[in-house]
Amino acid sequence: MIIHVKLYASLRRYRPGLALGQSFVCAAPDSATVEWLFLEALGLPPEEVAIALVNGIHSERDRLLCDGDTVALWPPIAGG
Amino acid sequence: MGQRSNSSSPTREDDAGHGATENFKMTMLPGGYMGKILQVDLTTRRSRTEPLDRTLAEQYWGGHGFGIRLFYDLVDPAVDPLSPENKLMFGAGPLTGTGAVAASRYVVVSKSPLTNTIACSNSGGFFGPEMKFAGYDVIIFEGRADKPVYVWIENDRVEFRPADKLWGKTPEETDEAVRAATSPHAKVACIGPAGERRSLLAGVVNDRQRLAARSGVGAVMGSKNLKAVAVHGTGSVRLADAEAFWFAALDVLKKVVNDPVSFGSFRAYGTANLVNLINEMGAYPTRNFQEEVFEGAAATSGEAIAEKILVKNRACFACPIACTRVSEVKDGPYQGRGEGPEYETTWAFGALCGVSNLEAIARANFLCRDYGVDSISAGATVACAMELYEKGYAPESDIGFPLRFGDAEAMIRATIMLGERDGKFGARMADGSYRLAAHYGHPELFMGVKKLEMAAYSPRVFQGMALHYATSNRGACHVRGNTVAAELYGIPKYVPPDTLEGKEELVRRPFQNSTAFVDSSGICLFTKFAITHREIVAMMAPATGLDFTFDKSITQGDRIWNMERLFNLRAGFTAADDTLPDRMLEPVPGGPRAGSRAELQKNLETYYQLRGWDEHGVPMKQKLAELGLEDFWGVVGG
Repeated sequence: MIIHVKLYASLRRYRPGLALGQSFVCAAPDSATVEWLFLEALGLPPEEVAIALVNGIHSERDRLLCDGDTVALWPPIAGG
Repeated sequence: MGQRSNSSSPTREDDAGHGATENFKMTMLPGGYMGKILQVDLTTRRSRTEPLDRTLAEQYWGGHGFGIRLFYDLVDPAVDPLSPENKLMFGAGPLTGTGAVAASRYVVVSKSPLTNTIACSNSGGFFGPEMKFAGYDVIIFEGRADKPVYVWIENDRVEFRPADKLWGKTPEETDEAVRAATSPHAKVACIGPAGERRSLLAGVVNDRQRLAARSGVGAVMGSKNLKAVAVHGTGSVRLADAEAFWFAALDVLKKVVNDPVSFGSFRAYGTANLVNLINEMGAYPTRNFQEEVFEGAAATSGEAIAEKILVKNRACFACPIACTRVSEVKDGPYQGRGEGPEYETTWAFGALCGVSNLEAIARANFLCRDYGVDSISAGATVACAMELYEKGYAPESDIGFPLRFGDAEAMIRATIMLGERDGKFGARMADGSYRLAAHYGHPELFMGVKKLEMAAYSPRVFQGMALHYATSNRGACHVRGNTVAAELYGIPKYVPPDTLEGKEELVRRPFQNSTAFVDSSGICLFTKFAITHREIVAMMAPATGLDFTFDKSITQGDRIWNMERLFNLRAGFTAADDTLPDRMLEPVPGGPRAGSRAELQKNLETYYQLRGWDEHGVPMKQKLAELGLEDFWGVVGG
């Protein structure tokens, strides 16, 4: 299946050249989870991924992905 | 040269204003506190000091706590906020100036002319520590000077100096001129031209670019003809048990510098690193809260700031995080340089106005600094004006030009009009979006509560924020109970934003009560992504030598919250004011959270119960007794 991925904040350095807010496509098996995506497909250090939105909704790492999902990832961030 | 005042210890025959300490025993405090309250009478140009009482310290801790208790005792809640009878208090915490991480904070407390509620605005920088070095925990300004003055405080010497040559100057110009006339080591808190003009959106600016922004506290200062306060102190903050204090403080330092949020994201991107996240969630209020997704988010995000306009970081006193941005637009119509923009400002002049031009947003931020206005309320007022214009309620002939969402140039023109109080429309904007919308017969376009504009988190998506905006004692502020920390980043623990269950307790205790405590300590709230109450109390106890505990810190926050509530109730507020704009009860029109709406009514009753309040939101006898406030039972009718 096809997953659309967006990387934000310091995670952007893992895809230099990608315009801010632009997604890239990632192929994934049917049983892929959010964790599989950032660990296996993208090779991101796990401690650097703190927030995952799947189609705009906050998701845990073990969430199963569906074909066409958009997954946006952030490092630990906060604000005020 | 200025007119020197006479400082003397108060007696019971002193004029009104000394009652704060009547009820408290006078005992020496071993550390943390400087032990003095300075009362500055601008009418008579006299000042006096009072000892800081031990019981006040034990029960109210500092900063926010001191502010509310002293204010409650000294000021009639029915007072006209712009009259000489209102008071303006600066309050530091026991940890302010100690050198603990981020121990930079002070508060400005008054009755707000914008909302008529109690106001407590918080600011960092260096002014708060300098107040402590000069020997003061609290400085209270009362009365009104007959002509513009500034007050110069150097240790126990207080001078009143003419400020006619400062009137009209920006905060940066004022800071420079005042320090040239007093001491290069002085720290200055002042108002900009907006405060001089008593704009209800004016804040108090310290250290040139930091603001105690919300609630119009700058207008109170302007109404007293007080242009600036310069402070310099040669003292330092004593510590009751220095070894135990530094052990605890170094533990905090370690946690903060190892925290990926505080020391990672904040340092790299500042608070605006939230823009893309809140937008992707579909919770980013756009075009005066008409929508919750903004097409220009990426272009106006923390990442974009870092790439395009960031020059460097800047820190407050004793803070390694250095979350402040210094940014610069080098050329073009929006040229400028200075601190910011923060997340809220980036939103208020960005998505809320439909503007995707980052340079224009930065320029608006610099304008707010130069005028000395709250950028959240100012941006929100421009956004409200845009909707009034687009819907045909505010005619172009009133404004002078088309004022449409997304028009960066018009946004800047409107911001200047607001800051200048230029013309009838500018004057209306200068007093905030509630009065503006009401004038044009459409108060439903005011996006706030109790006349204070909401902030950059949609209450239609974050149910905790819905309840907090509605119940916050100063109106729809976010920072006093920012449940987004739990409803998004999982601090202290993740709870989905749309969940209702448990939100009442979430808002009440780990957010509203806890923040009131932190704002009393003198430590910056932004350390709380890395640490908790326990670490702050672990510093407060050895610094002060008082028996501060974690459990007491929760009670203390609760006490502050209830005192503020009593003040507001006495000022005429009721449960009917704990509400949200009607638009927030309509479904989100698009994005990932389409259909979602604020479910406030479902939570409000339970929230009152958990607070120990009756169905009218009035604190009950048992609750007040629990907090040691039994004497305040019956102050509110019914």
